[in-house]
Formats: sequence, structure tokens, C-alpha cells
Amino acid sequence: MMEVTSERRGSTVIISTAGRVDGSNASDFQDALEANIGAEDSAVILNLAELDYISSAGLRIILLSAKNLRQREVGFSICSLSSSVHELFIISGFDQIIAIHSSPETALAAQES
Amino acid sequence: MAEATYKILVVDDEVDLEPLMLQRMRRDIRSGRYCFVFAHNGVEALEKLSEDEGIDMVLSDINMPQMDGLTLLEQIPTVDPNIKSVIVSAYGDMKNIRTAMNRGAFDFVTKPLDFADLRITIERTLAHLTEWRAALASRDQLVSLQRELDVASKMQKSILPTRFPSKGDYEVFAHMEPARNVGGDFYDVVNLENDRIGLCIADVSDKGVPAALFMMSSRTLLKGASIGCENPGDVLREVNDLLRETNDSEMFVTLLYGIFDPATGDFTYANGGHNEPLLVRPDGTSSLLPRTGGIILGVVPGVEFAHNTVNIGPGETLFLYTDGVSEAMNVEAEEFGMDRLAAIFAENPPRDAEATTMGVFKAVHAFAGETPQSDDITCLTLHRKEPGS
Repeated sequence: MMEVTSERRGSTVIISTAGRVDGSNASDFQDALEANIGAEDSAVILNLAELDYISSAGLRIILLSAKNLRQREVGFSICSLSSSVHELFIISGFDQIIAIHSSPETALAAQES
Repeated sequence: MAEATYKILVVDDEVDLEPLMLQRMRRDIRSGRYCFVFAHNGVEALEKLSEDEGIDMVLSDINMPQMDGLTLLEQIPTVDPNIKSVIVSAYGDMKNIRTAMNRGAFDFVTKPLDFADLRITIERTLAHLTEWRAALASRDQLVSLQRELDVASKMQKSILPTRFPSKGDYEVFAHMEPARNVGGDFYDVVNLENDRIGLCIADVSDKGVPAALFMMSSRTLLKGASIGCENPGDVLREVNDLLRETNDSEMFVTLLYGIFDPATGDFTYANGGHNEPLLVRPDGTSSLLPRTGGIILGVVPGVEFAHNTVNIGPGETLFLYTDGVSEAMNVEAEEFGMDRLAAIFAENPPRDAEATTMGVFKAVHAFAGETPQSDDITCLTLHRKEPGS
């Protein structure tokens, strides 16, 4: 249903989430995000290219992560939204709360600038 | 740490057993783990059981005068259904052992008694008893929690209006079905000055008790903010700032609020990240209301919310809903989607607010089939009648 993987580019971790995130696995999603973020990471990019669906329970986890990272002064952005998830981000105004990029490369470039 | 004392009733007509048991089990008696009471037949055993509620398990012989061990086994549950029994039988007496097990004995030991084996059997029985009691306690807790949830569910339902204004040429109807006992969706219809009404539909992130608590405060804040306020954008700004003040868990609510003026048919709304409502024309064609670019409430302080006005003409219908409608799933994991929603109205152009609302619920349930409802579903319909209808 949901798969979370990560790769490192310097001090930035790119976390990719695939499948569905809803009320039934939102806490697993939260645990997976925390497990993939290291103490030394200076920025986190959440790659949602393979994300089919996210419910409000999943969006809340993204907000929580963003808040925690902001308090630790760790950068946070999201990239590669599918059109349906992007639509949801626009309707809910998430695109005004969290930086969104079209690809991991543009997200990385923005992190570095 | 001192272990709990277990009281064991030993039932045997052989009077020699009592001193033997006390002698062989003396270490466990001295440590305070076991204590024994004795009876010499089934009748006496039942008397002891009814006098002493502290007895945890019974160790009983089979052949005894007055009432034998097999009859005793049948009688014990009438005194206390949660007592566990172990039967002592002659070696190889499978017939009586089978009967005893069928009558609910937990285990058996054979004569002559091997006390090391008896001790293991007693420990096994007591371990089972402890688990059994823990399970009973959990069940009782679950039952009481369920009762509290039922009360919460009733309280939550009772704050959603079920009587709706239908003055002049318009009517309103709304309905909410939570996915669990309590939900995070809500709607409200507020009477404002000059016969205008405030309409609201909202969906709190996630479900269950945390969502229900957030829903209750959102709804109260909205009600307070809406009265006396002409601008829906200002209402959302106030609700957002108040929710933000006390929100450590990053809960949020998507909320659309608008004011309908029956004198003109104008509907002025602002949107806090909620799905855009549908405006349905008399011929059944429909379109989404234009976006106003708001964001979810409870997360970012100090946000301004823009508003927009549309006119609802005679025969037209405004349909507000939560994503429990559009994201309802069927057994093939397909979403209900906006196309199916639009198709309902295209096939049966709305003529009546209640029938329109309940018709959507019916279509969503038919589509979902056996798939359990995963999200709260809420619909609110405002319909303006055609002149003369």
C-alpha cells in the first residue's frame, strides 16, 4: 500500500513515498519519515512522484514533519507531485504552506541557493 | 516482590490427602504463593465456593460420596463461571477424563499424585486464569469505552441541525454519516440578520475521537464568528487564528462558509481549503464554484481569506459536500469521483433539497457496495424553487 525509501545527496535526504497514505497507515508514514531523517541532515526533500493518494490524515503528518524540521532549522520541501495530488495541494492551500518543486533537481537547487 | 496468593480448593474424600498436600506444597505455602482449603465431597465443595469468593481454582477427585467430581464440574459455573478446575483421575481412566474435559475441566492429573507434575499443572492453570481475568477486564473496559463513544456520537449528532429554514423560494437540507462512532465532518446553518442564512461545510483532518474534539471547537468558533459578520473571509480569518492558538498537534479543518441572501439569490463565500461546491442548473448541468484561493484552517496564523459571490437563480441548486463523497471507494478500489457526482444531477436535475441530498448518499452507498465506509460523508443542498413550482 505504502512504500518509503530514501537516498542522500550531500547533507540533503530525499525521501520518496509511493502508494497510498490514508488514516489506516498515517502513523506508519510518520514513523517512516522520522526513521529516514538523520540528525546530520540539513534539508529534507519529500519526493511524491509515486504517491497515488493522500488523505487529510496523511497531510497532517506532512504538516507535523514540516513543523518539527522548522524547529530544528532543517530545510523542507516537496517535489514531483502527480496531477491529482497537486490538485489536492492547491485546493487545500498546502502549496502556500510548503515549498513545492517540479523535480528533485529543482528542489535541490532551491535548497542550495 | 511478593507474588499474589492463589487460593486452591482441594476436593477429595481421602482424609490423608490434606496433610500430604500441605507437606509437599509447604514451600509454596510459606512463600505465600498458594493457600489451600479442603472439602471432602462435591456438596461440601460447592458450599465452600459460595462462602469464599477468593477461591481461584479447584482440584477435584472424581469418585466421592454424595456428589462426585463430574457432577461438581457441572455445578461450579453456577457459583462462579470464572473458576478453573483440574481433575484427579485414576491412571488410564480415559472415559472419565474425556467426560471431565467435556464438562469444562481445564486439565487433569492422575493418581498416584506426582507432586512435581501437579505443581506444573497448577502453575499452568493459574497462568491461564491470570490471562483470562486480564481479557475479561479488557472486555469490560472496551464495553465502557464503547458506551462513552455512543454518548459522544449522540452529542455530536445532536449539535448538527436537523431542522432547516425553508422560507420564500428556497429550501436547505443537510446530512452527515460518520465512518466511525464519531466523526470530523460537520455542517451548520446559521440564521443571520435580514433573513439571510450562513451555510457551512467542514472536514477535520483524520477521523475518530481527536477529529471529533477538533470538530466541536471548530464548529463553536465558526458559530461565534459568523453572527454579526458580513464578510465570510473575515469569519474564516477569525476561526483560523483562534484554532491556531491552541493547536499543537497540527490538526486542521477544511471549511467553506458562505452567506445566502434570499432577496437577491446571491451566495458570497470564502474557502478554507475545502472542495469547491457545485452549482447545478435547472437542466442538470453543473460547474464548480470559482476558487477563492484560501488555505486549511488551524495551521498558519494571520491568513487573509478572499471571498467571491455567485448568483443562485430560480431552479438552481448549490451542492456542498466533503471528500467522503468524491473519494468513496468501491470493491475495485475506484473512486466515486466528480464525474459520477455530476452524472447524478444530469440524470435527475434537482427539484428538492432533501431528495437531492439523500439521493447522493444512496448513489455513494450503491457504488461502494460491500466496501466499508472509510471517511465521514456530508452533503448540504440549497435549492431555489422555480417560480410557480
